[in-house]
Amino acid sequence: MSKYELGIVDTRNILKAIQEHYEYDFRNYALTFFKRRLEYMLEKYNLKTAYNLIRVITNDDAFFQVFLKEICIENTEMFRDPSLWRFLMDGFLTSLIKKSTSYKIWFPEVSSGEELYSLMILLTELNLREYVEIHASSISEMRLDDVKQGVFDASKMEVNEANFKRIFRNKELNEYCTIKEDQGYMTPDLMKNIHFFRQDALMEQYPKGIKLIFWRNQMLYYNQIMEERMLKTMNNCLVAGGHMIIGLNEKIDYWNSNKDFILVGENDGVYKKKFS
Amino acid sequence: MYQAVIIGGSAGSFRVITSILNALPKNYPIPMLLNLHRLKHVRSGFVEALSIKSNIPVVEPYDKDSIKSGTAYLAPSNYHMYIELNKKIALSTEETVNHSRPSIDLSFSTAAQTYQKNLLGIILSGANRDGAWGLKKIKDAGGTVIVQDPEECEVATMSQAALTATDVNHIYRTNQIIDFLLKIK
Repeated sequence: MSKYELGIVDTRNILKAIQEHYEYDFRNYALTFFKRRLEYMLEKYNLKTAYNLIRVITNDDAFFQVFLKEICIENTEMFRDPSLWRFLMDGFLTSLIKKSTSYKIWFPEVSSGEELYSLMILLTELNLREYVEIHASSISEMRLDDVKQGVFDASKMEVNEANFKRIFRNKELNEYCTIKEDQGYMTPDLMKNIHFFRQDALMEQYPKGIKLIFWRNQMLYYNQIMEERMLKTMNNCLVAGGHMIIGLNEKIDYWNSNKDFILVGENDGVYKKKFS
Repeated sequence: MYQAVIIGGSAGSFRVITSILNALPKNYPIPMLLNLHRLKHVRSGFVEALSIKSNIPVVEPYDKDSIKSGTAYLAPSNYHMYIELNKKIALSTEETVNHSRPSIDLSFSTAAQTYQKNLLGIILSGANRDGAWGLKKIKDAGGTVIVQDPEECEVATMSQAALTATDVNHIYRTNQIIDFLLKIK
């Protein structure tokens, strides 16, 4: 818990300063979440006040990169919600990925990488790796650099292994990763041929012809306005009949959204884009 | 007067919560916000178990759900549950706080900011100190705070920590907590 607290006015001033200086617009992020992230940074970087945070963000481009990294919430663990991963393994992916045509998958915010690593392991186990084209983006260059190298937080290894065992009973997670000096690394082979790119905060650059989007627990950090805007973007980049996976406690619920998406995996947050 | 009741508990709180939910009438006019520590991989079953004896619906909310009276909102496992200023639920997968996700402190402190003097906060039995800081936030914002009597708690660590952190309004046993909730409706 941070020692420092920001008022709503302070929070809005920080948002305004970032927008004016960097043209990054975070005004439609969820307010309580954003305020808490800022308070966390005040303590972690010993800044103490909104004034100091604004000063360092607007005067130090390198610190702004740190700020972007801190705003991207780490994925909590590999194979979070094992029932979803079992659903993907038990026929879902094999029925969709055809060996004759490329199957494009996009992670709009790859964050700390655990979701991507989990999928790469699953595709490897299903012998489907060579038939998919993976795109992974983040608003943070620092996050992208870490994920490219397959880095993860080794302190989460216990929970990663427990989740892995719920899906692959007779295998070991350490076939896919190693721990060196308190840092976890996925094996380099696993991370080959992934197309990484930096994303702006409003995701105005998105790949086309995507057949599956992994976007779990990202809408949590947006307000209603931003959420709807992003869902329109996701809808635009998906092919008709393509799928999107969101968090278990998220839902697609904007005006007339049932014309765009249909829920196909009710307990696992799997939606399908309708054919118009 | 009260616009919301928020309850935090951990080990030994399940029986107390079921007693409370069983005693509240069907149209209880105040929303109940529940943050109870549990095993994170046990996704289903907990809501159902709480619902069996409850007269009001118990739900694990979706992100951005509006908070309505006559409903109990249980923080989903492996998510923090914030209360936004617009009286909606906001979920988060941010890092654990005091080894907890959901964190009672985060739910309590954000609810305090939203409801201020119109919030009733209750800490029950539990085996760690989560909730003590949040309960103080509720008191500091003008809300009312109750701690389950440590003598009645199966595990008293959580209620003792709350009593150390805050000058509480009441130290009550389960039946007194229920009487209070029925009186304020």
